[in-house]
Amino acid sequence: MRTTRTVRSVLAGLVVLAAAGAASAQTTPPAETAPPFEIGGFRLEGYVESGVRFFLDPSQKERAKFEEYRDINQGLFLQGLWLRFFTPDEKYSGLIGGRQWGQQDQEYHLSFERLGRWEVGFEWDQMRHIFSTNARTLTTETSRGVFALPNPRPAISTYNNGRSIDEISVRWDTARTFFKLSLSENADLFAEYTRIHKDGERPFGMAFGSPGGNTFEILQPIEHTIHDFRLRGTWATEQWQVQAGYTMSIFVNDLDYVRSDNPCQPAVAPFPPCAAGDVGTTKQFGTVSLPPSNMAHTFSLQAGVNLPLRTRINGNFTYSLRLQNDDFLPQTTTNGQPATVPSLALPQKSLHGNVQIILFNLNATSRPLPIPVTFSAKYRLYDLMDESDVVRFSDFIINDQNTITRGPHFSQRFSYMRQNADLDGRWKVSQPLAVTLGTGWERWDRPETREVQVSDEFFAKAALDVTPADWLMLRATYQPSFRRASRYRTFALAAVEQDAAPGEPGQSYLLRKYDEADRDRQRADLMMQITPTETVTITPAASYRFDNYIASGLSHDSSARGQSGAMLGLQEAVSWSAGMDVNWAPSERLSFAAGYVHESNFQKQRSRNRNPDDPALDWISNNTDTIDTYHASVTARLIPGKLDLKFAGNYSYALGRIETWNPNANGSTVFNAVANSNQVARRLPAFEDSLLRLEASLRYHFGQVWTASLNYAYEAFSKHDWRTDTINPFVPGNSAVYLGNDLKSYEAHIFGVTLGYRFK
Amino acid sequence: MTWRRWRLLAAIGGGAVALSVGIVLGLPFSSRAQQPTQPAATAAMPPGDNYVGAETCKGCHEEAFNKFSHTKMGRLFLRQPRSAKEANACESCHGPGKDHVDAGGGKGKGGMITFAKNDPTPVEKRNAVCLSCHTKGARLFWQGSAHESRDVPCTSCHKVMDNVSPRHQLAKETVIETCGSCHLQKRAQTMRTSHMPLREGKMTCTSCHNPHGTVTPALLKEPSLNDTCFTCHAEKRGPFLWNHPPQIESCANCHDPHGSNHENMLKTAKPRLCQQCHVPTQHPTRPYDRSTPSLKFVLGQSCLTCHVNIHGSNHPAGFAFTR
Repeated sequence: MRTTRTVRSVLAGLVVLAAAGAASAQTTPPAETAPPFEIGGFRLEGYVESGVRFFLDPSQKERAKFEEYRDINQGLFLQGLWLRFFTPDEKYSGLIGGRQWGQQDQEYHLSFERLGRWEVGFEWDQMRHIFSTNARTLTTETSRGVFALPNPRPAISTYNNGRSIDEISVRWDTARTFFKLSLSENADLFAEYTRIHKDGERPFGMAFGSPGGNTFEILQPIEHTIHDFRLRGTWATEQWQVQAGYTMSIFVNDLDYVRSDNPCQPAVAPFPPCAAGDVGTTKQFGTVSLPPSNMAHTFSLQAGVNLPLRTRINGNFTYSLRLQNDDFLPQTTTNGQPATVPSLALPQKSLHGNVQIILFNLNATSRPLPIPVTFSAKYRLYDLMDESDVVRFSDFIINDQNTITRGPHFSQRFSYMRQNADLDGRWKVSQPLAVTLGTGWERWDRPETREVQVSDEFFAKAALDVTPADWLMLRATYQPSFRRASRYRTFALAAVEQDAAPGEPGQSYLLRKYDEADRDRQRADLMMQITPTETVTITPAASYRFDNYIASGLSHDSSARGQSGAMLGLQEAVSWSAGMDVNWAPSERLSFAAGYVHESNFQKQRSRNRNPDDPALDWISNNTDTIDTYHASVTARLIPGKLDLKFAGNYSYALGRIETWNPNANGSTVFNAVANSNQVARRLPAFEDSLLRLEASLRYHFGQVWTASLNYAYEAFSKHDWRTDTINPFVPGNSAVYLGNDLKSYEAHIFGVTLGYRFK
Repeated sequence: MTWRRWRLLAAIGGGAVALSVGIVLGLPFSSRAQQPTQPAATAAMPPGDNYVGAETCKGCHEEAFNKFSHTKMGRLFLRQPRSAKEANACESCHGPGKDHVDAGGGKGKGGMITFAKNDPTPVEKRNAVCLSCHTKGARLFWQGSAHESRDVPCTSCHKVMDNVSPRHQLAKETVIETCGSCHLQKRAQTMRTSHMPLREGKMTCTSCHNPHGTVTPALLKEPSLNDTCFTCHAEKRGPFLWNHPPQIESCANCHDPHGSNHENMLKTAKPRLCQQCHVPTQHPTRPYDRSTPSLKFVLGQSCLTCHVNIHGSNHPAGFAFTR
């Protein structure tokens, strides 16, 4: 099917080539002096490029990463077609274009406009995201999202012999149509409708006993459609502008759940290594819900006005409404328990999901003084109010088991409000030097169900823009900030849920969640642009950010509950990058570009195995990712107007390390008493990946209209990750069954020859 | 709705009234807030006064003229001008050319705005030329935006005189190259193994960002970071019966949208990421490694093998996101 589509597209392109060629032949050469190509009062100009491609390709199992977001086939292909038709006075024109014609990642656009007045267009884009080409499973999909296993159940070790799944992927089809209208010099209207349809699968987990029961990796079926409709009107004058907009977004999920048979049930006889507990308490199959359909409406009004003293005020008000009301799935479908146990009955049919969001912005900038000083003030309010029902569930069936899990639990809502305010003053001290000083504030107001109800973060800002000479520009920014929260209340959720299940809340009193914890942040950015000559540009850039999380209020909370020790959670995070780009164009015919960026991301976290809850069982993990990225290119017009050569290369290497250890283990009797493979922290093997792409292209221009090109690309992806390199569906020692998929390393040599025709 | 929210709404309403009053007050004034300090070269121009016409410009600048005539602006100004200002063509942006022509042409003669990197015209004045027409739509919040406040000229990213990019008159062939000429790290992140399809040409920086200024931090196009993500990932929008609070507040609590070397663009590998916020009395607090008892919590989907609906669950028994 795909080959036929490709061939048709290529043939269509060749027909266009032939027609254009014939039309061109009817004119008097050379083409640049020939009368323009006309059809029906419209002149045509365009470009079409087609060719043949072949490569030493990765095997099917290696193609997942090779074609992750692409579709690359051997044989004929239509690289691009671009056709513009227009009236001689340019009053009306249209455009037809696209690339990757006939491929799964093809895209087209079609537009027509009256210049300066209106434009209407349509775009189509296909893309697939491939997750795997080497997974295996013994399941059979009896209907969409329902996976069955043979009966009696095969031994878990035989899952390695499961059928291969050629491809686990999701195909995105996006259609967009738009209309722009300039009603007058002052007024514009814009309307747009976008439909995104996603179809496919992705890896998905399912657990049959919680916690710690047997698990099964299956496929999540995806049949999603997003309808997005936008309308915007603008009225603008030199002094003020007003803009109103409406957006409606509808998400439709054609599927409600995914269901799978349990590899460990029914058990004719216990199949090692399904644990006895898995066999005894789990059920024959499990059901997991899929995201419900939802809808959102957004109304916005924004305006800007220029005032005296070179002042401008911008404002924005946005109101959003998110709705969701899909029917709940039943607690379980295995044994009819809800009918016999009243506490399992659903208290209501659906959520009546209703989230309202208010966004308000007010910005003012002013240059009121005769000296070059600019003041700016900003205020932003984002208020998310979740007005959905708080539903009380008395009891639960977790994982479709026999066991009833006692509640109650309440489906708490987590509204919040975020406010930002900034004040800046920028002084252009002299032509080459500008200094900015400023301060900012951010506040989060959270509900009583969150650990921190109020947090304030204060920013300072200093920025320097220096251009001491035409050939040198420097921008530097330093921004420290300090976040302090109201009291951290570990027991917040339990305190709100009256008549909640008895017992202490699950989290440690020593824990500070990083999104709510007190934090000191240092941030600096630097960018330079050096142009020592007109032909050379050097751009060094660097950035640094250090987050230090602070153990506020720890002793108060923890000692009252008999817990002691250091703060748990994220301790600090450091990320920095440094790089440089160099561009050199010694002549009009030759240009070079090269660059390098080094990135480093470090996080230090601390946790504790809480059985017993003793500092001796603390563990610390230093997680470090370093990435080096290089690029280089050469573009040369070997023979001006005739022969062009281009080389380009990109290389990226990433190394991830997770180094975990027990800081308090030495000499600890508690640690020694309980130490086993679960409590002892060990460093994990590092994981790395690299991607190299080299391209070379030689293009020859036959006169003004024909172009031939010879292309070569080399790609190499390499990965070493102990978690996936040798994974199989069955991994000895545990009752989990995986898909066994892995993004394999690959190498590909891609050769292509194309022929292009340009006409006008 | 709480009393605090009513007070805030009242404050918002007051701000809106203030803005409206500002608009009304601003109407009679010919404000120069977005105009150069000197009498505007690009404000309402007296026809024929100091203007020499595009054909005169072409006489010396033929190559540039020809390239410009193939751009959208060129076609509009030269073939279908909608106003007297547009009909001035070259001079609507570069300023009246009479003094330049009378001086015999040449660099720096006649007070023309060249928009070149070494143009002595202040950036504010150069940008005001562009904004005299392009102040609607995406540029409404240009004033005070991150790029404007650092004196970034429009011509740093856009090339008006020639078609370098297929759309939007960019200075480089693609959006990524244009933005990446300053934002080196973000361009480098497009090469990361777990990434959105930017380097494949299916997305660009402007799929999420509006570099001309927005009401959202980081120049995001939608009202919030999450709304930006929900444009394509609406299945995460909810609201769900059971919500995961850090997901409601910001997708960037767990994900790095520019790319990561961890699956699903997570900032840190699982299970460590989850263990930064979860230290309960149950299994997540163990320092899982490659030993056999740990493998179930590390391999495959890791924590998400059980907690599959981590972005939120609508199942009655999904309070731990397992269903």
